[in-house]
Amino acid sequence: MSPLTPAETVALALSFKIALVGVFCSLPVAISCAWLLARKRFFGKPLFEGLLLLPLILPPVVTGYVLLIVFGHHGAIGRWLDAVGLSIAFRWTGAALAAAVMAFPLLVVALRNAFESVDRRLESAAATLGAGAWRIFFSVTLPLSLRGLVAGLALAFARAFGEFGATITFVSSIPGQTRTLPIALYELISMPGGEGGALRLTLVAVIVALLAGLIAALMLLRGGERSAGAEA
Amino acid sequence: MMVITACALSAMAAAAPPTIFAAASLQPALDQLAHDGALGSPAPHLVYAASSALARQIESGAPADLFISADERWMDDAARRDAILPSTRSDLLGNALVLIAPASSHAAVDLAHGIPPLLDALGSDGRLAIALPDSVPAGIYARQSLLHLGMWSALEPRMAMSRDVRAALNLVLLRQCPLGIVYRSDAVSEPRVKVLATFPAASHKPIVYPVAIVRGHDSADSRALLAALESPRAKAVFRHWGFTQPPDAKQAVVAKPTDPSTHRHEGGRAAPRTQRGGRHGG
Repeated sequence: MSPLTPAETVALALSFKIALVGVFCSLPVAISCAWLLARKRFFGKPLFEGLLLLPLILPPVVTGYVLLIVFGHHGAIGRWLDAVGLSIAFRWTGAALAAAVMAFPLLVVALRNAFESVDRRLESAAATLGAGAWRIFFSVTLPLSLRGLVAGLALAFARAFGEFGATITFVSSIPGQTRTLPIALYELISMPGGEGGALRLTLVAVIVALLAGLIAALMLLRGGERSAGAEA
Repeated sequence: MMVITACALSAMAAAAPPTIFAAASLQPALDQLAHDGALGSPAPHLVYAASSALARQIESGAPADLFISADERWMDDAARRDAILPSTRSDLLGNALVLIAPASSHAAVDLAHGIPPLLDALGSDGRLAIALPDSVPAGIYARQSLLHLGMWSALEPRMAMSRDVRAALNLVLLRQCPLGIVYRSDAVSEPRVKVLATFPAASHKPIVYPVAIVRGHDSADSRALLAALESPRAKAVFRHWGFTQPPDAKQAVVAKPTDPSTHRHEGGRAAPRTQRGGRHGG
Protein backbone atom coordinates (compact mmCIF):
# COMPACT_ATOMS: atom_id res chain seq x y z
CA MET A 1 0.00 0.00 0.00
CA SER A 2 1.43 3.34 -0.99
CA PRO A 3 1.44 6.00 1.73
CA LEU A 4 0.27 8.53 -0.89
CA THR A 5 -3.15 8.82 -2.47
CA PRO A 6 -3.39 8.08 -6.22
CA ALA A 7 -3.65 11.79 -7.03
CA GLU A 8 -0.56 12.55 -4.96
CA THR A 9 1.36 9.72 -6.63
CA VAL A 10 0.44 11.10 -10.05
CA ALA A 11 1.70 14.54 -9.01
CA LEU A 12 4.94 13.07 -7.70
CA ALA A 13 5.61 11.02 -10.83
CA LEU A 14 4.76 14.03 -12.99
CA SER A 15 7.19 16.22 -11.06
CA PHE A 16 9.99 13.72 -11.58
CA LYS A 17 9.25 13.43 -15.28
CA ILE A 18 9.00 17.18 -15.79
CA ALA A 19 12.13 18.02 -13.80
CA LEU A 20 14.26 15.30 -15.41
CA VAL A 21 13.16 16.11 -18.96
CA GLY A 22 13.46 19.84 -18.38
CA VAL A 23 16.94 19.73 -16.90
CA PHE A 24 18.42 17.18 -19.29
CA CYS A 25 17.02 18.92 -22.36
CA SER A 26 18.47 22.23 -21.20
CA LEU A 27 21.86 20.62 -20.48
CA PRO A 28 23.38 21.16 -23.96
CA VAL A 29 22.36 24.82 -23.90
CA ALA A 30 23.66 25.22 -20.36
CA ILE A 31 26.96 23.56 -21.22
CA SER A 32 27.40 25.85 -24.22
CA CYS A 33 26.64 28.99 -22.23
CA ALA A 34 28.82 27.92 -19.31
CA TRP A 35 31.72 27.11 -21.62
CA LEU A 36 31.43 30.51 -23.30
CA LEU A 37 31.45 32.23 -19.93
CA ALA A 38 34.37 30.15 -18.65
CA ARG A 39 36.63 30.16 -21.66
CA LYS A 40 35.80 33.07 -23.94
CA ARG A 41 35.91 36.81 -23.73
CA PHE A 42 33.52 38.70 -25.98
CA PHE A 43 31.76 42.02 -26.28
CA GLY A 44 28.63 42.19 -24.13
CA LYS A 45 29.69 39.31 -21.86
CA PRO A 46 28.38 40.97 -18.67
CA LEU A 47 25.02 41.60 -20.34
CA PHE A 48 24.92 37.98 -21.48
CA GLU A 49 25.62 36.84 -17.94
CA GLY A 50 22.91 39.13 -16.61
CA LEU A 51 20.35 37.76 -19.04
CA LEU A 52 21.19 34.19 -18.06
CA LEU A 53 20.62 35.03 -14.41
CA LEU A 54 17.27 36.69 -15.09
CA PRO A 55 15.04 33.72 -14.13
CA LEU A 56 16.79 33.68 -10.76
CA ILE A 57 15.96 37.33 -10.10
CA LEU A 58 12.59 37.92 -11.72
CA PRO A 59 9.51 36.89 -9.75
CA PRO A 60 8.61 33.40 -10.99
CA VAL A 61 5.10 34.56 -11.89
CA VAL A 62 6.63 37.12 -14.26
CA THR A 63 8.74 34.44 -15.93
CA GLY A 64 5.63 32.29 -16.24
CA TYR A 65 3.72 35.17 -17.78
CA VAL A 66 6.48 35.78 -20.34
CA LEU A 67 6.43 32.06 -21.20
CA LEU A 68 2.65 32.29 -21.61
CA ILE A 69 2.90 35.26 -23.97
CA VAL A 70 5.69 33.71 -26.04
CA PHE A 71 4.89 29.99 -26.04
CA GLY A 72 1.15 30.02 -25.43
CA HIS A 73 -1.45 29.93 -28.19
CA HIS A 74 -1.01 32.87 -30.57
CA GLY A 75 2.38 33.57 -29.02
CA ALA A 76 5.42 34.59 -31.04
CA ILE A 77 6.79 31.05 -30.88
CA GLY A 78 3.59 29.36 -29.74
CA ARG A 79 1.76 29.99 -32.99
CA TRP A 80 4.43 28.11 -34.94
CA LEU A 81 4.34 25.25 -32.47
CA ASP A 82 0.57 25.13 -32.79
CA ALA A 83 0.84 25.12 -36.58
CA VAL A 84 3.09 22.03 -36.61
CA GLY A 85 1.11 20.31 -33.87
CA LEU A 86 3.84 20.61 -31.24
CA SER A 87 1.99 22.91 -28.91
CA ILE A 88 3.33 22.99 -25.35
CA ALA A 89 0.56 25.18 -23.92
CA PHE A 90 -1.26 23.40 -21.08
CA ARG A 91 0.92 20.32 -21.51
CA TRP A 92 3.57 18.67 -19.39
CA THR A 93 6.13 19.76 -21.97
CA GLY A 94 5.21 23.36 -21.15
CA ALA A 95 5.70 22.61 -17.48
CA ALA A 96 9.09 21.08 -18.35
CA LEU A 97 10.07 24.27 -20.16
CA ALA A 98 9.02 26.40 -17.18
CA ALA A 99 11.00 24.18 -14.82
CA ALA A 100 14.02 24.20 -17.13
CA VAL A 101 14.00 27.99 -17.46
CA MET A 102 13.80 28.48 -13.70
CA ALA A 103 16.60 26.00 -13.03
CA PHE A 104 18.81 27.23 -15.88
CA PRO A 105 20.80 29.87 -13.94
CA LEU A 106 21.74 27.33 -11.27
CA LEU A 107 22.92 24.87 -13.89
CA VAL A 108 24.96 27.44 -15.80
CA VAL A 109 26.66 28.82 -12.71
CA ALA A 110 27.60 25.35 -11.46
CA LEU A 111 28.85 24.26 -14.87
CA ARG A 112 30.84 27.44 -15.31
CA ASN A 113 32.57 26.91 -11.97
CA ALA A 114 33.31 23.33 -12.97
CA PHE A 115 34.86 24.37 -16.31
CA GLU A 116 36.86 27.15 -14.71
CA SER A 117 38.34 24.69 -12.24
CA VAL A 118 39.79 22.55 -15.04
CA ASP A 119 43.51 23.21 -15.48
CA ARG A 120 43.93 25.06 -18.78
CA ARG A 121 47.41 23.70 -19.17
CA LEU A 122 45.93 20.26 -19.70
CA GLU A 123 43.76 21.67 -22.47
CA SER A 124 46.78 23.39 -24.04
CA ALA A 125 48.72 20.16 -23.82
CA ALA A 126 45.96 18.37 -25.68
CA ALA A 127 46.02 21.09 -28.32
CA THR A 128 49.76 20.73 -28.82
CA LEU A 129 49.18 17.02 -29.34
CA GLY A 130 46.83 17.90 -32.20
CA ALA A 131 43.37 17.73 -30.66
CA GLY A 132 40.68 20.03 -32.09
CA ALA A 133 38.40 22.15 -29.89
CA TRP A 134 35.59 19.58 -29.75
CA ARG A 135 38.01 16.74 -28.94
CA ILE A 136 39.60 18.82 -26.20
CA PHE A 137 36.22 19.49 -24.70
CA PHE A 138 34.98 15.92 -24.69
CA SER A 139 38.30 14.27 -23.80
CA VAL A 140 39.75 16.72 -21.32
CA THR A 141 37.40 19.44 -20.09
CA LEU A 142 34.21 17.46 -19.65
CA PRO A 143 35.65 14.42 -17.83
CA LEU A 144 37.59 16.65 -15.45
CA SER A 145 34.50 18.73 -14.67
CA LEU A 146 32.20 15.75 -14.23
CA ARG A 147 31.80 16.17 -10.48
CA GLY A 148 30.81 19.79 -10.86
CA LEU A 149 28.43 18.82 -13.63
CA VAL A 150 26.71 16.22 -11.49
CA ALA A 151 26.48 18.70 -8.60
CA GLY A 152 24.96 21.29 -10.95
CA LEU A 153 22.48 18.77 -12.29
CA ALA A 154 21.46 17.80 -8.77
CA LEU A 155 20.85 21.42 -7.78
CA ALA A 156 19.08 22.23 -11.03
CA PHE A 157 16.90 19.14 -10.67
CA ALA A 158 15.94 20.15 -7.13
CA ARG A 159 15.03 23.64 -8.34
CA ALA A 160 13.05 22.28 -11.28
CA PHE A 161 11.28 19.78 -9.02
CA GLY A 162 10.18 22.51 -6.63
CA GLU A 163 9.12 24.98 -9.31
CA PHE A 164 5.68 26.49 -8.68
CA GLY A 165 5.01 30.11 -9.69
CA ALA A 166 6.12 30.00 -13.31
CA THR A 167 4.47 26.63 -13.88
CA ILE A 168 1.04 27.51 -12.54
CA THR A 169 1.06 30.85 -14.39
CA PHE A 170 2.10 29.34 -17.71
CA VAL A 171 0.34 25.97 -17.86
CA SER A 172 -2.14 26.19 -14.94
CA SER A 173 -3.01 23.12 -12.90
CA ILE A 174 -4.19 20.14 -14.93
CA PRO A 175 -4.18 16.82 -13.10
CA GLY A 176 -1.98 14.32 -14.92
CA GLN A 177 -0.49 16.96 -17.22
CA THR A 178 0.78 19.96 -15.30
CA ARG A 179 -0.28 19.48 -11.68
CA THR A 180 3.16 18.92 -10.23
CA LEU A 181 3.91 18.12 -6.59
CA PRO A 182 4.35 21.79 -5.56
CA ILE A 183 1.05 22.70 -7.21
CA ALA A 184 -0.73 19.78 -5.59
CA LEU A 185 0.79 20.89 -2.30
CA TYR A 186 -0.52 24.42 -2.79
CA GLU A 187 -3.98 23.10 -3.55
CA LEU A 188 -3.96 20.90 -0.46
CA ILE A 189 -2.94 23.64 1.93
CA SER A 190 -5.71 25.83 0.48
CA MET A 191 -8.36 23.20 1.17
CA PRO A 192 -9.88 22.76 4.60
CA GLY A 193 -8.99 19.19 5.54
CA GLY A 194 -6.07 18.99 3.17
CA GLU A 195 -3.47 19.22 5.89
CA GLY A 196 -2.76 15.47 5.94
CA GLY A 197 -1.97 15.31 2.25
CA ALA A 198 0.00 18.53 2.50
CA LEU A 199 2.18 17.03 5.21
CA ARG A 200 2.81 13.87 3.18
CA LEU A 201 3.80 15.82 0.10
CA THR A 202 5.97 18.18 2.14
CA LEU A 203 7.89 15.20 3.53
CA VAL A 204 8.41 13.86 0.02
CA ALA A 205 9.61 17.26 -1.19
CA VAL A 206 12.01 17.57 1.74
CA ILE A 207 13.44 14.10 1.07
CA VAL A 208 14.00 14.91 -2.61
CA ALA A 209 15.64 18.22 -1.75
CA LEU A 210 17.92 16.64 0.89
CA LEU A 211 19.01 13.89 -1.51
CA ALA A 212 19.80 16.42 -4.21
CA GLY A 213 21.69 18.61 -1.78
CA LEU A 214 23.60 15.61 -0.46
CA ILE A 215 24.66 14.56 -3.96
CA ALA A 216 25.77 18.09 -4.78
CA ALA A 217 27.71 18.44 -1.56
CA LEU A 218 29.44 15.08 -1.96
CA MET A 219 30.42 15.86 -5.53
CA LEU A 220 31.82 19.26 -4.71
CA LEU A 221 33.62 18.00 -1.62
CA ARG A 222 35.37 15.16 -3.45
CA GLY A 223 36.16 17.42 -6.35
CA GLY A 224 37.88 19.86 -4.01
CA GLU A 225 39.94 17.12 -2.36
CA ARG A 226 41.04 15.69 -5.67
CA SER A 227 42.27 18.95 -7.15
CA ALA A 228 44.05 19.76 -3.89
CA GLY A 229 45.70 16.32 -4.05
CA ALA A 230 46.66 16.79 -7.72
CA GLU A 231 48.53 20.00 -6.96
CA ALA A 232 50.36 18.53 -3.99
CA MET B 1 19.25 57.42 19.33
CA MET B 2 17.32 54.18 19.82
CA VAL B 3 14.52 56.07 21.54
CA ILE B 4 14.23 58.47 18.62
CA THR B 5 14.15 55.61 16.11
CA ALA B 6 11.51 53.78 18.12
CA CYS B 7 9.37 56.92 18.33
CA ALA B 8 9.71 57.51 14.62
CA LEU B 9 8.76 53.94 13.80
CA SER B 10 5.74 53.94 16.07
CA ALA B 11 4.64 57.26 14.66
CA MET B 12 4.88 55.78 11.17
CA ALA B 13 2.91 52.75 12.30
CA ALA B 14 0.23 54.92 13.86
CA ALA B 15 -0.18 56.81 10.60
CA ALA B 16 -0.21 53.67 8.44
CA PRO B 17 -3.38 53.25 6.37
CA PRO B 18 -5.58 50.24 7.08
CA THR B 19 -5.21 47.06 5.05
CA ILE B 20 -8.01 45.16 3.36
CA PHE B 21 -7.50 41.56 2.29
CA ALA B 22 -10.04 41.19 -0.52
CA ALA B 23 -11.08 38.42 -2.87
CA ALA B 24 -9.38 38.80 -6.25
CA SER B 25 -12.63 39.53 -8.08
CA LEU B 26 -13.03 42.77 -6.15
CA GLN B 27 -9.93 44.35 -7.65
CA PRO B 28 -11.37 46.77 -10.23
CA ALA B 29 -14.16 47.99 -7.95
CA LEU B 30 -12.03 48.46 -4.83
CA ASP B 31 -9.22 50.05 -6.81
CA GLN B 32 -11.66 52.62 -8.12
CA LEU B 33 -13.15 53.29 -4.69
CA ALA B 34 -9.72 53.77 -3.16
CA HIS B 35 -8.61 55.98 -6.05
CA ASP B 36 -11.73 58.15 -5.76
CA GLY B 37 -11.12 58.62 -2.05
CA ALA B 38 -14.33 56.85 -1.10
CA LEU B 39 -12.49 54.63 1.37
CA GLY B 40 -10.97 57.42 3.40
CA SER B 41 -7.66 59.13 3.27
CA PRO B 42 -4.97 57.87 3.15
CA ALA B 43 -6.42 55.17 0.93
CA PRO B 44 -6.18 51.67 2.42
CA HIS B 45 -3.68 49.06 1.29
CA LEU B 46 -5.51 46.57 -0.88
CA VAL B 47 -4.25 43.00 -1.04
CA TYR B 48 -5.93 40.71 -3.57
CA ALA B 49 -5.73 36.94 -3.84
CA ALA B 50 -7.99 33.92 -3.79
CA SER B 51 -10.16 33.97 -0.65
CA SER B 52 -8.66 30.63 0.35
CA ALA B 53 -5.13 32.00 0.36
CA LEU B 54 -6.19 35.16 2.22
CA ALA B 55 -8.12 33.25 4.87
CA ARG B 56 -5.12 31.00 5.53
CA GLN B 57 -2.89 34.03 5.92
CA ILE B 58 -5.26 35.86 8.24
CA GLU B 59 -5.65 32.74 10.33
CA SER B 60 -1.88 32.74 10.70
CA GLY B 61 -1.86 36.34 11.85
CA ALA B 62 -1.40 38.37 8.68
CA PRO B 63 -1.81 42.09 9.45
CA ALA B 64 -5.11 42.71 7.69
CA ASP B 65 -7.72 45.00 9.22
CA LEU B 66 -10.65 43.88 7.09
CA PHE B 67 -11.31 40.66 5.21
CA ILE B 68 -13.73 40.39 2.29
CA SER B 69 -14.23 36.81 1.15
CA ALA B 70 -15.94 35.66 -2.05
CA ASP B 71 -17.87 32.97 -0.23
CA GLU B 72 -19.22 32.19 3.20
CA ARG B 73 -17.15 29.03 3.56
CA TRP B 74 -13.84 30.89 3.92
CA MET B 75 -15.31 33.52 6.23
CA ASP B 76 -16.76 30.66 8.30
CA ASP B 77 -13.31 29.05 8.34
CA ALA B 78 -11.76 32.30 9.60
CA ALA B 79 -14.52 32.61 12.22
CA ARG B 80 -13.98 29.02 13.35
CA ARG B 81 -10.31 29.75 13.90
CA ASP B 82 -11.15 32.89 15.79
CA ALA B 83 -9.47 35.15 13.24
CA ILE B 84 -12.34 37.59 12.75
CA LEU B 85 -14.83 39.40 14.96
CA PRO B 86 -18.20 37.73 14.27
CA SER B 87 -20.12 40.74 15.57
CA THR B 88 -18.70 42.85 12.73
CA ARG B 89 -19.51 40.34 9.99
CA SER B 90 -22.08 41.24 7.36
CA ASP B 91 -22.89 40.36 3.77
CA LEU B 92 -21.55 43.02 1.50
CA LEU B 93 -22.19 41.92 -2.07
CA GLY B 94 -23.59 39.31 -4.39
CA ASN B 95 -22.49 38.22 -7.85
CA ALA B 96 -23.38 35.88 -10.68
CA LEU B 97 -21.41 33.16 -12.42
CA VAL B 98 -20.93 33.40 -16.16
CA LEU B 99 -19.38 31.46 -19.04
CA ILE B 100 -17.07 33.67 -21.05
CA ALA B 101 -15.08 33.53 -24.27
CA PRO B 102 -12.53 35.87 -25.87
CA ALA B 103 -14.26 38.87 -27.44
CA SER B 104 -13.21 37.66 -30.88
CA SER B 105 -14.82 34.25 -30.40
CA HIS B 106 -17.76 33.17 -32.57
CA ALA B 107 -18.97 30.57 -30.11
CA ALA B 108 -22.61 30.54 -29.08
CA VAL B 109 -23.68 28.56 -26.05
CA ASP B 110 -27.10 27.94 -24.60
CA LEU B 111 -26.73 26.07 -21.33
CA ALA B 112 -30.17 24.57 -21.80
CA HIS B 113 -28.83 22.56 -24.73
CA GLY B 114 -26.45 20.62 -22.53
CA ILE B 115 -22.83 19.93 -23.13
CA PRO B 116 -22.42 19.70 -26.96
CA PRO B 117 -22.19 23.49 -27.55
CA LEU B 118 -19.47 23.74 -24.91
CA LEU B 119 -17.47 20.88 -26.38
CA ASP B 120 -17.85 22.50 -29.80
CA ALA B 121 -16.53 25.75 -28.46
CA LEU B 122 -13.56 23.97 -26.87
CA GLY B 123 -12.64 22.30 -30.11
CA SER B 124 -10.14 19.46 -30.19
CA ASP B 125 -7.63 20.70 -27.64
CA GLY B 126 -9.04 23.88 -26.13
CA ARG B 127 -9.35 24.11 -22.35
CA LEU B 128 -11.92 25.59 -20.00
CA ALA B 129 -10.29 28.14 -17.71
CA ILE B 130 -11.57 27.87 -14.17
CA ALA B 131 -10.33 28.71 -10.68
CA LEU B 132 -9.19 25.78 -8.52
CA PRO B 133 -12.48 23.96 -7.80
CA ASP B 134 -11.43 22.59 -4.42
CA SER B 135 -10.49 25.83 -2.73
CA VAL B 136 -11.12 29.04 -4.66
CA PRO B 137 -14.73 30.26 -4.31
CA ALA B 138 -15.19 30.91 -8.04
CA GLY B 139 -14.04 27.35 -8.73
CA ILE B 140 -16.28 25.95 -6.02
CA TYR B 141 -19.35 27.72 -7.41
CA ALA B 142 -18.38 26.63 -10.93
CA ARG B 143 -18.17 22.99 -9.88
CA GLN B 144 -21.54 23.24 -8.12
CA SER B 145 -23.12 24.65 -11.28
CA LEU B 146 -21.54 22.13 -13.62
CA LEU B 147 -22.52 19.25 -11.35
CA HIS B 148 -26.06 20.58 -11.20
CA LEU B 149 -26.20 20.80 -15.00
CA GLY B 150 -24.68 17.35 -15.39
CA MET B 151 -21.64 18.71 -17.25
CA TRP B 152 -18.91 18.23 -14.67
CA SER B 153 -17.61 14.76 -15.56
CA ALA B 154 -17.39 15.54 -19.27
CA LEU B 155 -15.66 18.88 -18.73
CA GLU B 156 -13.31 18.01 -15.87
CA PRO B 157 -10.60 16.48 -18.10
CA ARG B 158 -10.75 19.59 -20.29
CA MET B 159 -10.05 22.13 -17.58
CA ALA B 160 -7.08 24.42 -16.87
CA MET B 161 -7.24 25.42 -13.22
CA SER B 162 -5.81 28.70 -11.97
CA ARG B 163 -4.86 30.14 -8.59
CA ASP B 164 -7.69 32.63 -8.58
CA VAL B 165 -10.57 33.82 -10.73
CA ARG B 166 -8.64 36.75 -12.19
CA ALA B 167 -5.94 34.37 -13.45
CA ALA B 168 -8.69 32.32 -15.15
CA LEU B 169 -10.08 35.53 -16.67
CA ASN B 170 -6.58 36.35 -17.87
CA LEU B 171 -6.27 33.05 -19.72
CA VAL B 172 -9.45 33.79 -21.66
CA LEU B 173 -8.65 37.40 -22.50
CA LEU B 174 -5.18 36.36 -23.70
CA ARG B 175 -6.98 33.85 -25.97
CA GLN B 176 -5.13 30.94 -24.36
CA CYS B 177 -8.46 29.30 -23.49
CA PRO B 178 -11.60 29.41 -25.65
CA LEU B 179 -13.91 29.26 -22.62
CA GLY B 180 -13.80 30.28 -18.99
CA ILE B 181 -16.01 30.42 -15.93
CA VAL B 182 -15.70 33.62 -13.92
CA TYR B 183 -17.91 36.05 -12.05
CA ARG B 184 -20.11 38.42 -14.01
CA SER B 185 -18.21 41.28 -12.36
CA ASP B 186 -14.99 39.99 -13.95
CA ALA B 187 -16.60 39.89 -17.38
CA VAL B 188 -18.02 43.38 -16.98
CA SER B 189 -14.61 44.77 -16.09
CA GLU B 190 -12.87 43.32 -19.13
CA PRO B 191 -13.72 44.39 -22.68
CA ARG B 192 -11.55 41.64 -24.20
CA VAL B 193 -13.98 38.93 -23.09
CA LYS B 194 -17.67 38.47 -23.66
CA VAL B 195 -20.36 36.64 -21.74
CA LEU B 196 -21.78 33.60 -23.56
CA ALA B 197 -24.19 32.49 -20.85
CA THR B 198 -25.07 33.02 -17.22
CA PHE B 199 -25.28 30.01 -14.90
CA PRO B 200 -28.70 29.85 -13.25
CA ALA B 201 -28.56 31.14 -9.69
CA ALA B 202 -30.27 27.97 -8.54
CA SER B 203 -27.42 25.82 -9.88
CA HIS B 204 -24.96 26.93 -7.22
CA LYS B 205 -24.93 28.18 -3.64
CA PRO B 206 -25.83 31.88 -3.54
CA ILE B 207 -22.73 33.93 -4.22
CA VAL B 208 -22.16 36.06 -1.14
CA TYR B 209 -19.23 38.31 -0.25
CA PRO B 210 -19.08 38.57 3.54
CA VAL B 211 -16.93 41.26 5.14
CA ALA B 212 -15.59 41.34 8.70
CA ILE B 213 -13.01 43.06 10.87
CA VAL B 214 -10.01 40.91 11.69
CA ARG B 215 -9.56 40.04 15.36
CA GLY B 216 -7.08 42.36 17.02
CA HIS B 217 -7.65 45.07 14.45
CA ASP B 218 -10.84 46.59 15.78
CA SER B 219 -10.36 50.35 15.73
CA ALA B 220 -12.13 53.52 14.75
CA ASP B 221 -10.33 53.38 11.39
CA SER B 222 -11.45 49.82 10.72
CA ARG B 223 -15.05 50.59 11.64
CA ALA B 224 -15.00 53.70 9.46
CA LEU B 225 -13.62 51.67 6.56
CA LEU B 226 -16.34 49.06 7.02
CA ALA B 227 -18.98 51.79 7.00
CA ALA B 228 -17.43 53.27 3.84
CA LEU B 229 -17.68 49.91 2.10
CA GLU B 230 -21.35 49.66 3.03
CA SER B 231 -22.17 53.23 2.02
CA PRO B 232 -24.50 54.04 -0.91
CA ARG B 233 -21.57 55.56 -2.80
CA ALA B 234 -19.63 52.31 -2.57
CA LYS B 235 -22.73 50.31 -3.50
CA ALA B 236 -23.11 52.36 -6.66
CA VAL B 237 -19.53 51.67 -7.67
CA PHE B 238 -19.87 47.95 -6.95
CA ARG B 239 -23.02 47.86 -9.06
CA HIS B 240 -21.21 49.65 -11.89
CA TRP B 241 -18.60 46.89 -11.83
CA GLY B 242 -21.20 44.13 -12.07
CA PHE B 243 -21.78 43.16 -8.46
CA THR B 244 -25.26 42.80 -7.01
CA GLN B 245 -26.85 43.19 -3.63
CA PRO B 246 -26.18 40.16 -1.46
CA PRO B 247 -28.96 37.57 -1.53
CA ASP B 248 -31.60 38.13 1.16
CA ALA B 249 -30.41 41.70 1.59
CA LYS B 250 -32.65 43.38 4.09
CA GLN B 251 -31.64 46.90 3.20
CA ALA B 252 -33.57 48.73 0.50
CA VAL B 253 -31.65 49.36 -2.67
CA VAL B 254 -31.29 53.11 -3.03
CA ALA B 255 -30.26 53.66 -6.65
CA LYS B 256 -31.83 51.99 -9.64
CA PRO B 257 -29.95 49.08 -11.21
CA THR B 258 -27.72 49.89 -14.18
CA ASP B 259 -26.97 47.85 -17.28
CA PRO B 260 -23.33 46.71 -17.04
CA SER B 261 -22.79 46.61 -20.79
CA THR B 262 -23.34 50.35 -21.19
CA HIS B 263 -20.86 51.12 -18.46
CA ARG B 264 -18.06 48.89 -19.63
CA HIS B 265 -15.73 51.67 -20.71
CA GLU B 266 -16.59 54.17 -18.03
CA GLY B 267 -14.76 54.87 -14.88
CA GLY B 268 -11.42 53.65 -16.01
CA ARG B 269 -9.30 51.28 -13.98
CA ALA B 270 -7.08 52.76 -11.35
CA ALA B 271 -4.55 50.66 -9.49
CA PRO B 272 -3.16 52.66 -6.59
CA ARG B 273 -0.81 50.91 -4.17
CA THR B 274 -2.10 47.40 -4.65
CA GLN B 275 -0.19 44.20 -4.29
CA ARG B 276 -0.98 40.61 -5.11
CA GLY B 277 -1.10 38.64 -1.92
CA GLY B 278 -1.02 34.93 -1.47
CA ARG B 279 2.22 34.51 -3.29
CA HIS B 280 3.76 31.19 -2.50
CA GLY B 281 7.37 31.69 -3.49
CA GLY B 282 9.06 29.54 -6.11
